[in-house]
Amino acid sequence: MTIEVRSLTKVFEAGSRRNRRRIEAVHDISLTVGAGERVAYIGPNGAGKSTSIKMLTGVLHPTSGTANVLGMVPWQQRRALTRRIGALFGQRSQLWFELTPRETFRMLGAIFDLEPAAERERVGVLGELLDAADLFDTPVRSLSLGQRMRCELAACLLHEPSILFLDEPTIGLDLLAKQRFRELLVRLNEERGTTVFLTSHDVADIEHVAQRAVVINHGVVIYDAEVAAMRRTLLATKSVEVTLAEPSPPPEMDGVIVTANKDSSMSLVVDTTRCSIRDVLDHLLGRLSVTDISVTDPPLEQVIAEIYTVPRS
Amino acid sequence: MNARWPWVSVSSAARRVARDRGQLLFAAGFYVVVASVLAALWRAATEVNGGTVAGYSGLQLTWYVVAAEAVTIALNTRLIEVIGDDIASGAVAAELLRPAPVLGVRVCTELGRCLPRLGVCVAIGAVLATTTAGAPPDATALALAAPAVVLAVFCNLIAQHAFAGIAFWLRDARSMWFLYHKLVFVLGGMLLPLQVMPSWLHTVAAWLPFAAMAYVPARLASGHVEPQLLLVQLWWLGVMWWAARAVFNAGERRLQVVGG
Repeated sequence: MTIEVRSLTKVFEAGSRRNRRRIEAVHDISLTVGAGERVAYIGPNGAGKSTSIKMLTGVLHPTSGTANVLGMVPWQQRRALTRRIGALFGQRSQLWFELTPRETFRMLGAIFDLEPAAERERVGVLGELLDAADLFDTPVRSLSLGQRMRCELAACLLHEPSILFLDEPTIGLDLLAKQRFRELLVRLNEERGTTVFLTSHDVADIEHVAQRAVVINHGVVIYDAEVAAMRRTLLATKSVEVTLAEPSPPPEMDGVIVTANKDSSMSLVVDTTRCSIRDVLDHLLGRLSVTDISVTDPPLEQVIAEIYTVPRS
Repeated sequence: MNARWPWVSVSSAARRVARDRGQLLFAAGFYVVVASVLAALWRAATEVNGGTVAGYSGLQLTWYVVAAEAVTIALNTRLIEVIGDDIASGAVAAELLRPAPVLGVRVCTELGRCLPRLGVCVAIGAVLATTTAGAPPDATALALAAPAVVLAVFCNLIAQHAFAGIAFWLRDARSMWFLYHKLVFVLGGMLLPLQVMPSWLHTVAAWLPFAAMAYVPARLASGHVEPQLLLVQLWWLGVMWWAARAVFNAGERRLQVVGG
């Protein structure tokens, strides 16, 4: 296993000495991630995602529990581990603002023990891969957020890490930049086998990048499954859109709700625990003059929102 | 352990500042004003005091002032506050993702930022002192002052990191910034030579690390051939490095970064 976590717990202490409060950010989390997986680690604000990632990268020490990342205990062997992982915290920059990205890469290359020639070659490759070569000579403080994020990603890929930890990497990016970023992550994973472990509030990041979703809430893992399976199993409803040759009365079936019926189009929501989608299609095709029909899963956003509503046990 | 990153950190930061003419001009202008006024005041004081103050002539005090001000103005005066804010806000978390010590990289980068400003201030100070008061009082002492100014800046930078590390516990280093600068200004001999102070205060100040950050290079530049002062600086450099490392090591273990 690339990442193995057992009963990981983190408690923060807040407030004055007299009025000290204990905030349990992560509670007894256990999970494993195999090499080359693309995992989305998701949850609502304050769920404990960023705290978990910071423990897995060795930045934070846990209150209890164990973790093993690439055979190392992150908080005990942080410096050795940093040579093999890349981490991008969307809200915290690792670039020096007064330097250009190229100067930063030179410093990072020295810090990561890369030979100057190897570092220059790697920067060239990353410039092409990220379509960012023309940004590398502009001072970081003059870059837009999207441009800076591409340089941040280049910085964390400079030493060719085996695992990428990404904490809200697409925050603040425009649609096009997000799309390119996601494509790049999938490409890195498929071409180089880089394990991707990402948190995001953007459902499209999860949908387009992750194969597996681990959902955390109130510091506890509440769901862990393939993204496709999550969609299939968690909401037992399907949407049916029908186009008719002429206006027709809606079907009256147990478990079928008509959400719209106007002119020659009809929208239905089918509760598949009460009525099979096959029965609904047979009914529609047999009794109505259907010219077009589509069956879709509910949006992932809805699935995740459902999971978030699981109460804290 | 790779030995390349400290040099690359210092040189990258130094090159960037050296190219920033606006920043250098501002530092130079500020330095000229402060050093000229203080040197003129001290020369006036020596004249009304029969030619010397606490054993320093007007010429010596001028060289004292230009050296003491150069090592102070070369530094980012808000450094403690900046480090404290980076710790309290959790920005330091990104620096923990590198296989090099956070303290080492920070000190080297900051030293790189200071060196061009120090070079400019020292050059201007030498011209200013020579034209307004006369040639350096002693060539040997001046030669000793050259490494002393770099050691003073280095020692000051490390000490500021040690003091700023309090933010790992208090999450605010602003009060420490205020206190630290007052200590360097007075007990460090930046505003006045330690010999001007009452003897008990002089003794106390001489035993504190702040003297290594301003008094030592200024004392040497003022013509006193006292090479043992370089050893004092090296001693405090070692002590401050040990203290800053202990603070950062302990602080990094108890770092609290809540949220993204």
